[in-house]
Amino acid sequence: MQQVRALPVVGGFADRLLAEDLPDLPHQRRAEVVGFVARRVDGLPSFTRFGVLLIGVVFRALLAVPGGWGLGRVVLRLPLPFVAEYPRLVRSLGYAYVWEHWPSTTPTGGAA
Amino acid sequence: MIARPADAAMDAEVLVIGSGAGGATTAAVLAEAGIDVLVVEEGEWVEQGDTVPFSLDQMDRQYRAGGVTVALGLPSVAYTEGRCAGGGTEVNSGLYWRPPGELLARWREDFRIADFDPAELLSIADEVETVLHVGTDPAGPTAPSEAMRRGADALGWRNGEIPRWMRHDGSGAGQRQSMTRTYLPRAAASGARIVTGCRVDRLELDGDRAVAAHTTLPDGRTGRITFRDVFVCGGAIQSPALLQRSGIRGNIGRSLAVHPTVKLAARFADPLNIPDDVPVHQVKEFAPHLSFGGSASNPGLVALSLLDEWNGFRDAVVDWPRISVYYAAITSQGRGRVFSVPRLRDPIVTYHLTARDRALLRSGLGRLALLMLEAGADTVFPSFRGAPAVRTRKHVATMERLFSANRASVMTVHLCSTVPIGEEAARCGADSFGRVHGATNIHVNDASLLPTAPGVNPQATVMAFAIRNARRFAAGESHG
Repeated sequence: MQQVRALPVVGGFADRLLAEDLPDLPHQRRAEVVGFVARRVDGLPSFTRFGVLLIGVVFRALLAVPGGWGLGRVVLRLPLPFVAEYPRLVRSLGYAYVWEHWPSTTPTGGAA
Repeated sequence: MIARPADAAMDAEVLVIGSGAGGATTAAVLAEAGIDVLVVEEGEWVEQGDTVPFSLDQMDRQYRAGGVTVALGLPSVAYTEGRCAGGGTEVNSGLYWRPPGELLARWREDFRIADFDPAELLSIADEVETVLHVGTDPAGPTAPSEAMRRGADALGWRNGEIPRWMRHDGSGAGQRQSMTRTYLPRAAASGARIVTGCRVDRLELDGDRAVAAHTTLPDGRTGRITFRDVFVCGGAIQSPALLQRSGIRGNIGRSLAVHPTVKLAARFADPLNIPDDVPVHQVKEFAPHLSFGGSASNPGLVALSLLDEWNGFRDAVVDWPRISVYYAAITSQGRGRVFSVPRLRDPIVTYHLTARDRALLRSGLGRLALLMLEAGADTVFPSFRGAPAVRTRKHVATMERLFSANRASVMTVHLCSTVPIGEEAARCGADSFGRVHGATNIHVNDASLLPTAPGVNPQATVMAFAIRNARRFAAGESHG
């Protein structure tokens, strides 16, 4: 598991989630945020990283099929232990990065 | 900087693993007693001012896993650990609470800590307060602190400014008196060697003795450090994890205690946000079970505090200059575990909140919201999924009804009690001076030893215990 990098696993999901949450966030900034999220996932403690990447693999597969994103959103709303933590982790890291680096960002991600 | 890189092969009379509040004080006491001391620290040495306090950059450089660490459970409890020279003292709020005397007396009885005089520990606390320049801020309270005071006074709740270990110059500017500024230089001045970037993977045992530490260096090379005695001071998560990886069991890692906290963001009419510092007021009306204080509140952390109910709260993020984040912390009856799994580099950490803990978090968040309204907040944004914006007392009742710990962002920064000190065989992992039960030369001297979570910022208590135990060890050395 140490050899698996996070970016290919969580990058697509993080990009899609942040694009929905913060639709006005410029593409270049979003790419920077996604890179940050992936670096932090790479640095997680072993067991947590394993769990995040496992869930990430499932959602990457969902993203690859037509209608998969919609299904994924439904799954994420279910009160499933730990699964719901996945988007929360991505959002926590992403939002913290956005507003720390660009504090005048609007609620939809636009550059004020 | 007084630290240097580690070599693959090293030797010392006493090896101190970790350089935080426990390790730095241990090293200073032993080195000043003439003992050959080697301190190994896994993180890097970061000078104060090289990173912005509470920033993501600081988390990258001075926290374990970038600050993204969690005790698994329902709900999971996010926690942070310092991972740098000076440990948690480099990154925490710097607030100072003496060990509560009545708690020390209770620990002595409940855990059968021998030769333990609370007065001795408080006397050591006096020394620590002098070394760390503990005092109040001559510049007076900041606006977020003042808001806490105002709200508490309006409700008639006991509150006050908490002293900090901060040295102020003539201009009023403060310099944190963390371990890299105090006890580590003292240790080095007395001959202690300090190396950074050196992780201890396990201790090599020969019967009931540890004879060497196996290490990994930054370039991936492995190393070995031989010693006569070892003090494990990696904190309440890493210390038990190292002992377990080394094959030491017993009461190790079974009784993690923390102060779980829940948060809210309070918005006021006028700007009050201070991005790189924390409020120094705390409200202790309901202590020790429940305490209120202020959190770091840079714009990124304000966004985080709104995250759980983003759809409802997100418009407030642009108001971050008028927002400060506050917490309600409880003394928990719950317990957690730290356990190492073969082939996994990091331990698995769990924590279980009891029903009483959940009820206390609920009432704590409600009282904190009330406090903020009384302080003049126009809106309070609680950090849990499904939370309503709170603007009136009636809303506080609604919020309490909707609150569920499982939907809240529960976190903690105070971790302790994973190798409890004392002779109570059923519960204690180390003897009355921190030597691991069943081992002859392995000592623990950090927050792991505290029998329970103390209900206050624990650094002073950790330092006082560490100095006491190190002095006892040094006295034994001088007697042969």
